Amino acid sequence: MAASMTIRNIVKQAIFIKNGSIGINSKLNVAHKSTHRAHNPNYNRTSAEVTLALRPKQNFLHHDLVDKHRRSPLQKGTEVLQTETEVKAPRDYRFVMPEFMPRPNFEDRDRVLEKLERCDMFRRRTNITIPEFYVGSIMAVSISDPYAPNKRNRFVGICIDRGGIGLKAYFVLRNVVDGLGVEVMYQMYNPTVHSIEVLKLEKRLDEQLYYLRNCPLEYSTFSFDMEPVLLPRDAEIPVNTLKVKLNPPPWEQKWERQNLKGIEPLELTPRMIRGIEMHLKPWEKYDLMLHYRSKVPEEEEEQIMSEVYKEKLKQDSLRKVTKATLRKKK
Amino acid sequence: MASKSILTCFLRPSCTTLLGSNGTVASLLPTSYVSVQQVRHRRYPKFVVRQNKRKTWHVRKWTQKYDDNLLTSNEQFIKDVIVENYAKNSDSPLKDAPWDRNPYVYGTRRTGVLALKLGTMLQWTTEGKPFMVTLLQVLDNHVINYVPPEVYATYPSHLPHHRQKFGLQIVGALSSDPRMFSKPYNNLFIKAGVPPKRWLTRFLITPNAACQPGTPLSVNHFKVGEYVDIQGRTRDWGFQGVCKRWGMKGMPASHGVTKSHRKMGSTGGGGDKDGIWKGKHMPGIMGDILRTQYGLKIWRINTKYNVLYVTGAAVCGRPHTFVRVYDTVLPRKKRPESSYESVPMPTWFEEDATEPLPEEYFDSKLFQFTSPSLEIEEEKK
Repeated sequence: MAASMTIRNIVKQAIFIKNGSIGINSKLNVAHKSTHRAHNPNYNRTSAEVTLALRPKQNFLHHDLVDKHRRSPLQKGTEVLQTETEVKAPRDYRFVMPEFMPRPNFEDRDRVLEKLERCDMFRRRTNITIPEFYVGSIMAVSISDPYAPNKRNRFVGICIDRGGIGLKAYFVLRNVVDGLGVEVMYQMYNPTVHSIEVLKLEKRLDEQLYYLRNCPLEYSTFSFDMEPVLLPRDAEIPVNTLKVKLNPPPWEQKWERQNLKGIEPLELTPRMIRGIEMHLKPWEKYDLMLHYRSKVPEEEEEQIMSEVYKEKLKQDSLRKVTKATLRKKK
Repeated sequence: MASKSILTCFLRPSCTTLLGSNGTVASLLPTSYVSVQQVRHRRYPKFVVRQNKRKTWHVRKWTQKYDDNLLTSNEQFIKDVIVENYAKNSDSPLKDAPWDRNPYVYGTRRTGVLALKLGTMLQWTTEGKPFMVTLLQVLDNHVINYVPPEVYATYPSHLPHHRQKFGLQIVGALSSDPRMFSKPYNNLFIKAGVPPKRWLTRFLITPNAACQPGTPLSVNHFKVGEYVDIQGRTRDWGFQGVCKRWGMKGMPASHGVTKSHRKMGSTGGGGDKDGIWKGKHMPGIMGDILRTQYGLKIWRINTKYNVLYVTGAAVCGRPHTFVRVYDTVLPRKKRPESSYESVPMPTWFEEDATEPLPEEYFDSKLFQFTSPSLEIEEEKK
């Protein structure tokens, strides 16, 4: 037994020396081992090889790789995208023109498509003025309607929602017509829209005002003959802190769960309280990845918004010139 | 390592004389041998992944050979050499003369292009109706090879009923660094004199529309108002149930239903029709298969960024999927005989443009955003 132990120790030492001295004495006799897979199809793969073979294969390219190919010196015939460096947009300009921001999911994004879409939006904006507005502003929209008198349809209402990205951008207006609540959704870049005016520029406390459906009608009634309210130049956007009173239930949605700021405190039943507690997500405000994924990275946002801002300045200056020439002609 | 020490346990004591000095042990012991111990547990790995069945005539594409000793300064030098070899000296005077250009006749089938799907967008017609378009970018496309019908007839992939009607046009997209690819793959591109491409495909063409290897293909190969077919791999959904894969209804959410809200229910009848029939819709791997969209109209073309705007949001795959775009085979949507003269044959060349190209082409029924707002008229019945 003792003899075998000593042998084991000796061999261990020998192997240790062998492994340690690979750099110095690398010529060791290694028996031939065929690694050619064609010869032994069912050879035992390592776990790493198995996972590599089983991983889902993507049938599309990563967006970074596509951009790299577009910029490559080997590429010919297609223009390379230029980034805007001269002008810098004001901070948080994305809230002024939110439809210019691309969707945050990078898998659905493409820089060339975004550029072309922005180009189309600018072209449309030279033909009609799309003013700055927010949810809570009171707006008037006139569209072409073959069945209306004078073939125009004008609608006035409060903006209760705004969304969509790129050319799909939309907003929803709400008003009361003949004692009945009416909501109309308009596509901002639809060519049948003839004018968009803001009668009263203001914000509300919430991002969506769909709860006006469950409020008394007086909160969403606006006169069609309303005159525009002017704001002093460079003034901050006023925030309307009005708190509306909801009708008693049944409601369209469970408003008590949505943490709304623009409604008066509700009379909660025990059942409602239980529901609120069940659907609380207190961890979400600490979820850094959730915040990161919910919006476009800041550098890209800056790049895109500066391009938008530059175009906006250009269009505004053009508009001033045309107004001046019109005045001269009069 | 452990097994080596096990082996030495079985050595007889007389062997110790052999193992006298530490240095000689490694050279005396064999480094590979058959295990003498019995194995009672299950074989590892528990399952064997089948290999890809690569066709014998396909060359290996990727390599991972790289030089560790390469410095960053040398790396830049090699990149410069690659660009100089491929991008700058691409037009060799020793190449053969350009091939003859034939007129477009009835029954001609031209080559297609390899396009990158970018995504979808909203557009409007001149009547004010919105519709979706898909953007396809024709990025860095070149003709790599042409195989005449006589040669193609000897290929294993040849369909006998085609006889000797079609040849093959091999087209590649996205020039890349040749160091990524194996040598036999790089050799495919010598004839065309272009950098090796990331993506290759082949189109069946009639011999009168053959392009010379090395010809660049651009978006001007097509015209606005024409119809195209688009082939690509659909989005990979993985293993999916029956509701998502085949649109089955499942079962109610309540009323005593347990554990079978999204199951498929019965698999077949009884009597003469019993058993599960072949082709029964069942759960399984969904997507990642070749699909074709036929007869999509080209509404708009951007020549600056080489982008096609094509009807609908149904082009297969996620954004940045490669799709094959070619003239439609639908008889009613093929181009009329009056337009045969203006078809670029076999493809559009830069010399064809007498004037500088406009940046964009629009279909006559597409609303252009530079024009003023629309006045919709009442529909006439």
